[in-house]
Amino acid sequence: MFTYILRRLVGMVLVMLIVAAVIFVIARVIPGDPAAVMLGSAATPEDVAALRTRLGLDQPFLAQFLIYLGQIATFDLGESIFLARPVTQALAERAELTSFLTMMSVGIAVAIGVPIGIVSAVKRGRLVDQGTVALAMLAASVPSFWIGLTLIRYLAVDLHWFPVAGYGPPDASLAERLRHLVLPAIALGIPNSALILRFTRTSMLDVMNEDYVRTARAKGLPPLTVILKHALRNALIPILTIIGLTTAVMIAGAIVTETVFGLPGVGNLVVSAVLRRDYPVIQGALLVVSGLYVLINLAVDLLYAVVDPRVRY
Amino acid sequence: MKSSVKSLLVTAIAGAVFTAGYGTAWAQQSAAKDSVVVVATVGEPSTLDPVGVTADLVSIITQHVFETLYTFDKEWKVMPLLASGMPVLSADSKTFTIPLRSGVKFQDGTTMTADDVVASLTRWTQVSPRGKTTTSAIESITAKDANTVVIALKTPFAPLASLLAMNNGAAAIMPKSVIDGTNPLKALVGTGPYKILEHKPDQYIRLIRFDDYVSPQGAANGYGGQRVAKIKEIRFVPVPNATTRVEGMVAGQYQFADSLPAEMLPRLKDAKGVTPIVVKPFGFPLMIMNSRAGVMTNQGVRQAVLAALGPKDMLLAAFGDPGFFALEGSIYAPGTAFYDKDSAKNYNQNNPKKAGEMLKAAGYKGEPVRILTSTQYDFLYKMSLVAQAQLEQAGFKVDLQVLDWATLMQKRGEDKAWDAFFTYHTFVPEPSLITFINPAYPGWWDTPEKSAALTAFNTDMNPVSRKAKWVKLQELFYTQVPTIKVGEFYNLAASSDKLKGYVPMPWPFFWNAEIAN
Repeated sequence: MFTYILRRLVGMVLVMLIVAAVIFVIARVIPGDPAAVMLGSAATPEDVAALRTRLGLDQPFLAQFLIYLGQIATFDLGESIFLARPVTQALAERAELTSFLTMMSVGIAVAIGVPIGIVSAVKRGRLVDQGTVALAMLAASVPSFWIGLTLIRYLAVDLHWFPVAGYGPPDASLAERLRHLVLPAIALGIPNSALILRFTRTSMLDVMNEDYVRTARAKGLPPLTVILKHALRNALIPILTIIGLTTAVMIAGAIVTETVFGLPGVGNLVVSAVLRRDYPVIQGALLVVSGLYVLINLAVDLLYAVVDPRVRY
Repeated sequence: MKSSVKSLLVTAIAGAVFTAGYGTAWAQQSAAKDSVVVVATVGEPSTLDPVGVTADLVSIITQHVFETLYTFDKEWKVMPLLASGMPVLSADSKTFTIPLRSGVKFQDGTTMTADDVVASLTRWTQVSPRGKTTTSAIESITAKDANTVVIALKTPFAPLASLLAMNNGAAAIMPKSVIDGTNPLKALVGTGPYKILEHKPDQYIRLIRFDDYVSPQGAANGYGGQRVAKIKEIRFVPVPNATTRVEGMVAGQYQFADSLPAEMLPRLKDAKGVTPIVVKPFGFPLMIMNSRAGVMTNQGVRQAVLAALGPKDMLLAAFGDPGFFALEGSIYAPGTAFYDKDSAKNYNQNNPKKAGEMLKAAGYKGEPVRILTSTQYDFLYKMSLVAQAQLEQAGFKVDLQVLDWATLMQKRGEDKAWDAFFTYHTFVPEPSLITFINPAYPGWWDTPEKSAALTAFNTDMNPVSRKAKWVKLQELFYTQVPTIKVGEFYNLAASSDKLKGYVPMPWPFFWNAEIAN
C-alpha cells in the first residue's frame, strides 16, 4: 500500500509539472492584457505599455516561464496583479468557503442521489422508478443558476429563511457563514444528485441479479439487510468514483453558483482572474486545483480497498 | 436500521431549528446594524488607488477616502474641496495659484501641507490617464508657502480646474510620505470622511468613519459643500449577478445597489421599502472608428457609417425600456452647459440608401469592416448586432468580432487589428475629459482641424466664448466622424427607504446620508 501511494505521489509531481507548463502557455497565448484591464477604458496604448513594463509583462516568454518555474520550486505561487497579495493568501482566504460549499453540496447530492437511486433500482420498472428517472433527468437538465435564482426568490426574499447572497458580514459566526451556504449548496447539489442517482441505480441493478444477493434473500434475510448490506456494499465502487469526481469538479467548478450567490470562492477567483488576465492567479489557482483533483482521485482509489477487501495495492 | 431512521430524524429536526433560529437572529441582527450601509456593487475594483485608473467602480469607492482640491456641484460647476477657494489666475492665464484649507488632517494623523499637494499632483501628472493630458501644458508645480500651491503653465489651459476636480483618474491628495514615484502607493491614506478599515477581495471593502475629518464649509451641493459621515460604516459588497443585486435589495440585505437591469424596474417598484432611482445624465454608448489605419481612415466611409446607422433601433435592442435611453446626438445632454443640438444635425440619419451612395463616392471596395464588441457588456453587444445589420443593408461587409473585454481592450491598442469598436462613456462635466477627444486614445482622432479647434477650446478661459469653441469641435465631430455617439442611456439604481439624505449622482456617495431606524 505504502509503495503504491509513494508511486502515485511521484507520478503526481510529474503530472503537476506538465499541468504547470500547459497552464502557463495557455494563459499567455490567449489574447488580452492585464495592464489594459487594470487601467480602464480611458488608458492610451502608451499608458498600457508603461504598466506592462512595471509588471514585468514585457519580458520574453521564456524568461517569464523560468521565473515561474523557480517560484513553483519554492512553493511560491507569485503575487496577484490585481489583488495586491500573494496568490497563496488569496487561495487561503477562499479555502474555507470552497471546502464547506463542496462538502455541503456533495452531502446534499449524496443524500438525494444514493437513497433514491437504491429505491429506483429495487423498484425497477415500476412507477416509482420511472418517476425518479424522469426527475433525475429534469434535475440534471435544469441549470444551477435557475435553481439558485428560484431559491433566492422564494426562500430568501419571500420567506426570509436564508440570506440572498454573500458569505456573511465580517463578524459572522461559523454557523451564520454556513447558513449563507445552504441555498448555494442546494443549487449545486440538485443537478449533481441526478448523476449520482443514475450511477447508484445502474450499479445496484448490476449487483441485484448476482447469486450472492439471491442467496441472501433465500436465507430469509430481511429485504433492507439484503439491499443495504449485501447489494449496496458491492455496488459502492462506481458510486464512490462518481462522488469523488463530483467533489473534485466542484472545487473550482461552482463558478455559476458562486456568481449568482456572490460567493468569494475558488471558482469565482479563477474566473475573475481569467477575465482580468491575472496570470499569477490563473496559474497558481489552477495548479492547486489540479493537485487537489489528483489527490481526490488517489483518495477514491484507496477507498476502493476499504469497501472491497478484494482490491489490493 | 431503527437507529439510522432515528439519526435522520434528529438531523432533520436540528436542521429545522438551525434554520428557524438563525432566520430570526439574522432579521434581528439586520435591524441592529443601522449604522452600516451595505452597498451592492457590480464587482471587485481593480485597485483602490484612485489616481491610475478611470474605472467608475474605483471612483465610487475611493471618493469616500480620497479628496481632490476641487469637486463639482450639482450643476457640474467646479467648487473648492481641499482648496479654500477657486484658483487665482494671473493676467496672462499662465499661473494658477491655489489656496489650500488649513488644518486638514490625513487619515494617518498628519496635517496636509502644500508639499503633500505638490507631491500628489506631480504623481497625478505621471500616473493618471487624465493627469498625463496636462503634461504638455504644465511647466511646474510648486509650493509657494505651507498653504499655497502654484501651477505654472506653458500656455493657458482652461480644463485644468475640471481635471483637478474629477474623481476618477483623480488628482487625489495624499501624504507625501506614501508616494513612491510612479510605483504603487505605500499606504492608502487620504483626507476623506471615511478611511479603509478592511478589504477582503471579492467579499467586501469596509470603510469606517474618519473621526478627525475636517469638512469643507457651506451647504452640501452635489459633491461639494459640507460632508458629514453620519453612517458609521460603508460596506461595499461585490455582487456580480444583477438579478441577485435586485433580490438582495428587495430582501433588505443591501441598502443600495447600483447598475441594475432596466427590465427589473417593475420588480423594484412593487417591492416594499425600496426606491428605484434612474440616474440622469449617466452615459453614452460609442462606436469608435479607427482614424489611423484600415478602411475607416477614409472620412467618406466614416460618414457613410453615420448615415447608415439607426440609433433608435440600436438603443431599443440594448436597453428595451425607452425610459432608460434618449435619442440625443449632442455629446452633452440637454440641461448641461455644453449642450448644442444644431451642430449634431447629422445624428440619427438611418438612411441606408444614402449611405450606399456615399460608400460608392468614397471608393469603398467591399473591404471587411472589423468591428470589435464584447458580450461582457450586454447592451454593447446587442447594439453592435443591430449596427451590423444596418451597415450590411447599406452595403458594408462587416466582420463582427465578439471578444471578451480584456481581449478587446488589448486589441484596440493595435491600430492594424480593427476598424471600429463599441464602448461607452460615463458622463463627464468637462469636454476635455472625454476619452476620444484625446488624440492618443485608440481611434486616434488627430486631424489638423481638430487639433486647432481643441487648442482654441483648451486655451480659452472665458466660459461664453469657450462654449462656442466646443460647438466648433462638435461640428467637426459630425463632419470628420471619428466616433459615433449612439445616444444617451441612464442607470438604474435602488435605495432602501431607510437610507435618508441620499443624493443621486452618477458616482453614488454616502456622506451626508443616514440610516433611519
